[in-house]
Amino acid sequence: MLSSFQKNFPAKARPYNDTGETRVDYLLQAFITALKLIISLDTDVIQCTMVSLKISCSAVLLATIVGIPLSFLIALNEFTGKRALITFFNTMMALPTVVVGLFVFSAISRQGPLGVFGLLFTPTAMLIGQFILATPIIIALSISAIRGVDPRIRVTALSLGARSHQVVMTLILEARFAMMAAIIAGFGRIIGEVGSAMMLGGNIRGYTRSITTAIALETSKGEFSLGLALGIILLTVALSVNIVLRSLQQQNT
Amino acid sequence: MEMQDSADIAISNLVHQYNGKTVLDIHCLSFTRGSIYAVLGHNGSGKTTLLAILGLLLKPTAGKVFFEGKDIYRHSSSIAAFRSKMSTVIQNPLLFDTTVENNIAYGLKIRGIPRAARKRRVQDCLQLVGLEGFEKRKAKELSGGETQRIAIARALAIKPQVLFLDEFAANVDEQTIALLEEVIKRVNRTDRSTIFLVTHDTHQAYRLADEVINLFQGRVVRSSLENLFKGTIENADNLPPVFDTGRMKMEVVSGKRGSAYAAIDPRDIIVSDSPLRSSARNSFYGIVSTIFDNGTSVRLRITAGEEMTVKMTKKSLSEMNLTVGSKVYLTFKSSAVEVF
Repeated sequence: MLSSFQKNFPAKARPYNDTGETRVDYLLQAFITALKLIISLDTDVIQCTMVSLKISCSAVLLATIVGIPLSFLIALNEFTGKRALITFFNTMMALPTVVVGLFVFSAISRQGPLGVFGLLFTPTAMLIGQFILATPIIIALSISAIRGVDPRIRVTALSLGARSHQVVMTLILEARFAMMAAIIAGFGRIIGEVGSAMMLGGNIRGYTRSITTAIALETSKGEFSLGLALGIILLTVALSVNIVLRSLQQQNT
Repeated sequence: MEMQDSADIAISNLVHQYNGKTVLDIHCLSFTRGSIYAVLGHNGSGKTTLLAILGLLLKPTAGKVFFEGKDIYRHSSSIAAFRSKMSTVIQNPLLFDTTVENNIAYGLKIRGIPRAARKRRVQDCLQLVGLEGFEKRKAKELSGGETQRIAIARALAIKPQVLFLDEFAANVDEQTIALLEEVIKRVNRTDRSTIFLVTHDTHQAYRLADEVINLFQGRVVRSSLENLFKGTIENADNLPPVFDTGRMKMEVVSGKRGSAYAAIDPRDIIVSDSPLRSSARNSFYGIVSTIFDNGTSVRLRITAGEEMTVKMTKKSLSEMNLTVGSKVYLTFKSSAVEVF
């Protein structure tokens, strides 16, 4: 069965090269086709984008809910092993996505300890993988954001009658730019990752096929234009997130 | 320790240590509601530590802190409630990274004061510190003096029962200092706030405070530290001990020997235009170098080997017809010299 892409754009983007097109022509043609795909709201493109956005946004939201309070607990308390824990999270920031995919795969596959839940090749499995990837980044960068806040902020808040939770809120407000950067970095890490999404999601069309897994697949199939279209969308998503957050920061200042 | 009925805050057997080193060691002190106290002392004397302990921002290593008759650390669950009646302006204060209005309203907001009331109070506080119209300014864009004034306005916004000001006049021009001193006096008068000032400016301390607490190496000393000298105590056979600064020798009453500090309260020094025949064991000749006006009284700096400060009434000054360059005699008892 032909995909909507193949139906709409049957030959133009196919790999050449008996027609005499130059390589530059080919790239340009692919780019134009990619734009047409985006503008025409191609079903495949929309589906991949929605899967990516839904899973990555949920994962980064969960990672933020878990990561931010944890980073406060670690940054504001003294305990044995604190340095080792921070080093652990710093190391986890560079965790290869395929390794996360491998671990989660082994845990949720039929033979794995969580096999009974039937999570493999579902969006939930992808979400778990992305959560594991995003959380250490958010924790490690938030810890350094909190430690970067002037120590006088805490004393000032206390001296004006703030309770513990109000002190934490004040610290969050003061560290908001660095915290936003931590969350954006976490989102950036997972929206663009392909390793664990491919291994845990299984790249099922319309269900677990995300932008990145679709790019990998379409490019290997020779559907360069679709890959390029998705690549443009990925960049646009990243850019939009940054623009929205930046405008929020400016409004709050 | 027995607390006085009128005492709002008191401390007893207070010791605080940093890394095993004692930085504060005070037997007992009590403070009356509605008074202004100045804590005077050199760098490292423990002034800021004392303020942080009184402001409940720092738990002492040992000892008790009382607020409204209650032993604070026996009711440790309600420290935040006690602390909410106080506010502190720390040395080199920091404003939150937002507008001036949000800064001043901070304490009111966390106390759940409605928006309209917050706005009114912000206006009042800005007026008090002479910065009307600054509401929408970004705190980070203010000058050092403006930052200090906003920090004080922020502390005053909650109408604190106790206000702590740590070196509020540091990095501020003369005009602003005068304005802030007026604000302190007014708040003390109108709100009956107890005010603690940490300062190293002796004149400011005596100008503003009802009582001055002198701290020296973490201990409260009776004498003002205006005449503080470092020296050694020598004790020849059958003679009273003599404290030698290298430029001045004075008789003292002390069992201490060797290196020591000595302080003479300016109020204990008698100034005369001729040598006095009296029981006082110490008498020095000196020349008046500076005269400070302190309102009802004056403080004189007199060069007599060492630079010494004495205090007298304006009436005495005019009757003795003293001016800069006048020759005088300084007389004080050996028991007036506090040795530590």
